[in-house]
Amino acid sequence: MRPSPQASDTAVTTPDPRPRAGDDQPTAPSVLSAPIVQLLGIGKRFGAVRACEDVSLRVQAGEIHGLLGENGAGKSTLMKILLGLVVPDTGRILLRGEPATITDPSAAAAHGISMVHQHFSLVDRLSVWENVVLGDRGRVDRDRARTLVREVGRRYGLEVDPDACVEDLSTGQRQRVEIVKCLRRDPGVLILDEPTSVLTLEESRELFTVLRRVVADEGKAVILISHKLDEIVHATDRVTIMRQGRVVARRATADTDVRSLAREMVGRELSKWTAASAVGALDALIEPGTGEPTGGTALLDVREPAAAPAPDPRPPAGEVRLRISDAHASTTDRRPLLRGLTLEVRAGEILGLAGVEGNGQAALGDLLSSLLPLSAGRVEVCGAPVVAGRPGAMHAAGVGIVPEDRHVSGCVLDMSVAENLVLADLSSVTSKGLLSRRRMAARARQLIEEFEIATPSPDTPMRQLSGGNQQKVVLARELAAQPKVLVAAQPTRGLDIGAIEYMTERLHAAARSGIAVLLLSTELGEILTLSHRVAVIHRGAVVGEMDRADVDTERLGLLMGGQAA
Amino acid sequence: MTPTLISERAPAVAAPPADPRRRPRLADLGTPLLYAASLSTALVLAGLLIALVGQSPWDAASAMYDGSLADGAAIGQSIDQAAPLLLVAIGSVIAARAGIFNIGQEGQLLVGASVGAAIALFTPGPGPLVLILALLGAAVGGALWAAIAALLFYWRGVAVVISTLLLIFVANQAVSYAVNSPSLLREKAVAGQVTTSQTDMLAESVWLPRIGEYPDFNIGAGIFIALVLAVGTSVVLVRSRLGFRVRMLGLNPKAAHRAGVGAVLIGGGALLASGAFAGLAGGVMLTGSGHRMQDGFADNVGFDGLLVALVARDKPMLAVPVALFFGALRAGGGFLSATGVPRYIVAVVTALLVLATVFPAAYAEVRRRRTAGA
Repeated sequence: MRPSPQASDTAVTTPDPRPRAGDDQPTAPSVLSAPIVQLLGIGKRFGAVRACEDVSLRVQAGEIHGLLGENGAGKSTLMKILLGLVVPDTGRILLRGEPATITDPSAAAAHGISMVHQHFSLVDRLSVWENVVLGDRGRVDRDRARTLVREVGRRYGLEVDPDACVEDLSTGQRQRVEIVKCLRRDPGVLILDEPTSVLTLEESRELFTVLRRVVADEGKAVILISHKLDEIVHATDRVTIMRQGRVVARRATADTDVRSLAREMVGRELSKWTAASAVGALDALIEPGTGEPTGGTALLDVREPAAAPAPDPRPPAGEVRLRISDAHASTTDRRPLLRGLTLEVRAGEILGLAGVEGNGQAALGDLLSSLLPLSAGRVEVCGAPVVAGRPGAMHAAGVGIVPEDRHVSGCVLDMSVAENLVLADLSSVTSKGLLSRRRMAARARQLIEEFEIATPSPDTPMRQLSGGNQQKVVLARELAAQPKVLVAAQPTRGLDIGAIEYMTERLHAAARSGIAVLLLSTELGEILTLSHRVAVIHRGAVVGEMDRADVDTERLGLLMGGQAA
Repeated sequence: MTPTLISERAPAVAAPPADPRRRPRLADLGTPLLYAASLSTALVLAGLLIALVGQSPWDAASAMYDGSLADGAAIGQSIDQAAPLLLVAIGSVIAARAGIFNIGQEGQLLVGASVGAAIALFTPGPGPLVLILALLGAAVGGALWAAIAALLFYWRGVAVVISTLLLIFVANQAVSYAVNSPSLLREKAVAGQVTTSQTDMLAESVWLPRIGEYPDFNIGAGIFIALVLAVGTSVVLVRSRLGFRVRMLGLNPKAAHRAGVGAVLIGGGALLASGAFAGLAGGVMLTGSGHRMQDGFADNVGFDGLLVALVARDKPMLAVPVALFFGALRAGGGFLSATGVPRYIVAVVTALLVLATVFPAAYAEVRRRRTAGA
């Protein structure tokens, strides 16, 4: 059974993994006898935290192996052990049947193991070919490097211009450069860590096609780390599921479906909307009524719809809280960021702004964080104009924001949780210019409890909190300021399902309490789950708008791609 | 801590690298050893150097001791040397906490001292009042000198490190010109006497008061000014709203901007405050010990004060003992050069001792980054 219709027409042509052992794959029989990577009984503790316990993993050449689990399940630690970044306390590593000790990344590279990290390590100012040969020894041969980039690109369908400057590339193209960097060394094992978290649907599909070529043409193995069920189902041959540092299941992908994977990954049932959003099962969101026996609708059966906070498809007609009209802005070196962006958000509604990464979402987030001045146009909050770019102006006007990268403008990592909870509202804990420790602590305790922030104490440095809890601190602070408008930029990026569920509920609650919510996201699933209205941003302007009930993905896709529809 | 703070379904909080139980024990054992090792290395090298120029290392060591700690007068000398160092250091701490690296204290100190000298020499009035005016003037002078760097940075984006450093040379030339020009600060000609390039001696009524009499323990009032300001700065940085904003700006300028902290106002203000402290240090040196301006007046106090702040890791209260240590080094070094060891060797010896105190902290930082990076 196909897990979803998407698999057949769009994502990748999921090959049946079973004939792999047969004679159409000349390399397969010999490789099958000795898996290319075998981890046996791996254990690793960090102090009191057990990151991995008795984990075994078996990856065959010629397969895409999914490693599924929530954040903190131990996937990354396991891969760091394979890369020699972390030394395991117990267990053995076998590579092609031979015991191996991997003490550092260069040893891993010598064994043909190479990884594309979630965060790119590219030098923005250098060209693609320079980035690819960066770190090589000996003479730099430009022509050879360029040929190499083109050749690798041609072989795997990773077309990228070797002379382009990395800073001009889209996120998807940058990831291609990272993959080219790995593939040109002809590795036996290619590991990708959450590769689609920065990609659009289309780019993700292209990526999976590339990965399929890698394992098919070369007899290589790919390990795909992910917490998105849909892509595991679409892109992998076999999957190992981890939870809390242990392997809880191993499956042939063809024998499983999104629903059972979700249950094994989380260890409990999820509400349908969160689950659908988290795993990117778009069809479940678009056509909840159709009776197709797909993975998406199977998921819908998990719980009764009444249990889920489904958005009311009719946007509530509150007054306009945030109005941005004809906003123009550019970088200091005159590259345009916003080109006549116009939008309105009303009280009590969630407006989802969909778009491909790099089309002005970051600039819009900066604008609403007072970090970006406008060269033309205006911003009004509740009818009153706000000076863009003046320190603290947006906050003072009642615009709260959960920024895209909380480390940049959302929090101060080297201050305590309590301090981070009052950053912009110092006056509430100040008397005669002096801060009241007592009031600050009281406020922190109240917010920590209200927002379920897991922290050892209010005085813990922000840096020591997990990503999900840092996000909660930011959200708690912004909501505690009782904003008129709440902006959430990529609010669930990099979070696990539990945290996504939490964020989703909080945003709904904010809208219900009358706050105008603007959601900026590149994940269409998230937009469709949460929004009352959907707008599309392309090249720094809003190019289309529709009510949630009128959404069709075809038109959304065209708008996001910049074609008038 | 309190279990109520932890929500029940929360996963483990601490990221793996935070390993609160084992780290401190290792570090506690290693740090004193490291200090001992680097100090003895410095002492051995210093001894070798002194032996190389034909002096007895042992005599040199005892001269260092005699000059800084041996008796009341020597200890007073060390404390007097520490006062301007502490003032400069507090200023450096303020700027550093706001994320600005001011390294032009030497120049700000000089300009401050010159302004102070002009006020002290040419303002009529009762001594204590003129003294206070001179000290305030010195602070304003230092702040204005730093304001040039602030203006260049916020108006044209010139890096503060570069502008403050280069302004030292401008300050040197300007002050040198002032003390060489009869129409400005050069001492007034007295019949039958040749004038040199220095100012007149300040009237005794505008000298900083001293406690105690030579040869017993005696110190100037400068150290008290410095201590009061150190405590005040510490309180402001840690406890006040202004201090919170300064720290926020230094730790994350973007988050600070969003929260309404203006970089120009708070950051520029911190740079000016830093200059004011350096200028005040110059004023204290002028009214406390030298009593006149001349070439070479600053005598590296600006740079040494910057080092004090670095060693104290930008903590005002930690700067107090560090400044006292550096003050003792300066006092001992001065005494050592009086025993016939060449001045440049004295400078190298003090520099070695400074390096020895900075090294363990720097080494620990490098180690920390290495382990964090892995």
